[in-house]
Amino acid sequence: MAKADVKLPQMQSGFDFGLCRRNDMLVKQGGKPAKFLKTGTTIVGLVYKDGVILGADTRATEGEIVADKNCEKIHYIAPNIYCCGAGTAADTEAVTDMVSSQLELHRYATGRESRVVTALTILKSHLFSYKGYVSAALVLGGVDITGPHLHAVYPHGSTDTLPFATMGSGSLAAMSIFESGYKEDLTREEGMELVSAAICAGIFNDLGSGSNVDLCVITKGGKEYLRNYKKPNPRTYIREKGYSFAKGHTQVLSTTIVPLKDKVTIIEGEAMEE
Amino acid sequence: MGLDFSGLEPPTIRASSSFPNLQPNILSSPSFELPSVKDLDGFEKAAVEMVKPVHGTTTLAFLFKHGVIVAADSRASMGQYISSQSVKKVLEINRYLLGTMAGGAADCQFWQRNLGTRCRLHELANKRRISVAGASKLLANTLYSYRGMGLSMGTMIAGWDETGPGLFYVDSEGGRIKGRLFSVGSGSTYAYGILDSGYHFHMSVDEAVDLGRHAIYHATFRDGASGGVASVYYVGPEGWKKIAGDDVSELHYKYYPVSQPVVEQEMVEILGYPPTGNLGDCSSIPIYRNVASS
Amino acid sequence: MSIFTYNGSALVAMVGKECFAIASDRRLGVQFQTIATDFQRIFKVHDKLYIGLSGLASDVQTLQQRLQFRHKLYQLREERDMRPETFAHLVSAMLYEKRFGPYFCQPVIGGLDRDDKPFICTMDSIGAIEHSKDFVVSGTASESLYGACESMFKPEMDPEELFETISQALLASVDRDCLSGWGGIVYVVTPDQVITRTLKGRMD
Repeated sequence: MAKADVKLPQMQSGFDFGLCRRNDMLVKQGGKPAKFLKTGTTIVGLVYKDGVILGADTRATEGEIVADKNCEKIHYIAPNIYCCGAGTAADTEAVTDMVSSQLELHRYATGRESRVVTALTILKSHLFSYKGYVSAALVLGGVDITGPHLHAVYPHGSTDTLPFATMGSGSLAAMSIFESGYKEDLTREEGMELVSAAICAGIFNDLGSGSNVDLCVITKGGKEYLRNYKKPNPRTYIREKGYSFAKGHTQVLSTTIVPLKDKVTIIEGEAMEE
Repeated sequence: MGLDFSGLEPPTIRASSSFPNLQPNILSSPSFELPSVKDLDGFEKAAVEMVKPVHGTTTLAFLFKHGVIVAADSRASMGQYISSQSVKKVLEINRYLLGTMAGGAADCQFWQRNLGTRCRLHELANKRRISVAGASKLLANTLYSYRGMGLSMGTMIAGWDETGPGLFYVDSEGGRIKGRLFSVGSGSTYAYGILDSGYHFHMSVDEAVDLGRHAIYHATFRDGASGGVASVYYVGPEGWKKIAGDDVSELHYKYYPVSQPVVEQEMVEILGYPPTGNLGDCSSIPIYRNVASS
Repeated sequence: MSIFTYNGSALVAMVGKECFAIASDRRLGVQFQTIATDFQRIFKVHDKLYIGLSGLASDVQTLQQRLQFRHKLYQLREERDMRPETFAHLVSAMLYEKRFGPYFCQPVIGGLDRDDKPFICTMDSIGAIEHSKDFVVSGTASESLYGACESMFKPEMDPEELFETISQALLASVDRDCLSGWGGIVYVVTPDQVITRTLKGRMD
């Protein structure tokens, strides 16, 4: 059976500002505007002897609420490039996804490994064109044909090229560790230790950062994503037995049970003979 | 020779000659220092917003042939958060007087207790109980003296005096209204709906209690800021008596009983289900391949 | 008062052993006034995929209709149902499209993936996905729900135990929120059946 040729409605790329007027009106009438998921964050990166190490904490906040205790802030850009994101969660996620898909297409077109500067240029031109309204603060790191690179990208589109960088609300705490402990040609172990110490400084001294340490070590021709490299904040208050409720404890007004049927399976080529 | 007007003076002033130290402390209205801010109106408005935990409320009171019914819910909320489900919103001023609480909890509690002391002093000075009209006027005068300074109260003073049952509405704007039926608070409109449709002056005490309870229940159902327990008081010639305190959730299922829990089970087989590979007319059956089989 | 709290809502999803449950309250209000007590916030996308939308009721319905439309197109073109992860990204993309003028909705998605592996996630109103292995919450009662779920949740619950836990967490939480409650509805989805139950809750 031929696949149905279904055309999707013509999608316009880019943002849709259709609800802006309505929302402004609602805000005028009703007070507070929307609160988004933020990553009050500590993200860092440094260049060591054989490549780049990126690090991040794993707390996502929504106002004063910890919305996610173990989120992922080190985003994939290319096999040899990763990017830590701070700021509005949706923006960091969307902007890194956008760059990674553009780079993937670029690799298919050119057959060459992506370069960190390419990612950097795409990022900064996108962020600059939105005048800081796309609030993503990033630490971009990777190793390409020209060697290891580390960049800090600010929401307005400016960038830094640095041997070590920190971003987010815990950046000051993390930077104090880097300023006192960083030197050129660190070994892999030394580098990982320094990065995780910097993240821990953010976790313990900045209220917007917390939970665990994620690391990503990128070397020439390889990378190692160490999710939850350290877990300095295990749950202390868990009740061993948990709470259990006897079956039928909750009062129920009605119950509907629907068994799930197997879908019809079509055997291709046999069905339609005349 | 002039007339002796001393009998018209308030008894408290006459008493003050023999107890000079009483007057400034208890008999005059207590007074607070004003906050030392430039924008007093703005400050007071903001302060009221901050300290009004029982703003969401339903209270009601009505007169009928045999006395007065006073009823209230028991929820205290701070914004959308429910801070308590067991607040006593009917304040017992003395054996014959009840006050209700809507607006600021602290304001209502403080000033109604203050009213209690002053009513007792009136009794001691005059050897007779204060009238409901008199008590409500004491409160209204106090509130009027603080008008525009941030107090937030909407209260009903109900009781029984020598003239029979009495009911007054007093608020922090300084108003005092005599009436037969009142409801105050965010759920008051819903309560009025039930009260107005069910009220007759000549009903029995039981009917009146049921009406009060039903009005409070109905308000708690429709108003998000009201809930908890519907407490109903009856004030008769012998003073007030608490008649009922019912969990409104139980009342709901009493007023609207649910039938036994039903369990519906959908049939597994469909009649005329076409065999695999020969679909026939399948316009009504969605056809997609199973993820695993494709 | 934020626009998210205009109608009031409570939404929660939990993972069990080869199953998941998604539950919501049933109130539709306008600020503190209760309008209806049978409002639908949880929608079936297909047999093993459900989405709950908290927030502004008009956006809940608009978004649900757009999502249903997109899923039907997908079914016609691909001749299969959408995987939960794919669907989550569809929702996320649709929300992020309106980054600067968002829908006032916070979705909760629950589904059974290939091999009937349970999947739940939530996102904010502009589509930042938050995956979870245990539970996700949203709505005006979310703060109470965080607390209730954090203490009541246990891993690897069977469908019956999961139902009791999610129901108790929901009922306990909405009792501390003025804007949600008035009964509840729970969907427990297992590989071979869906159990829908309406809960008896406080009606104030």
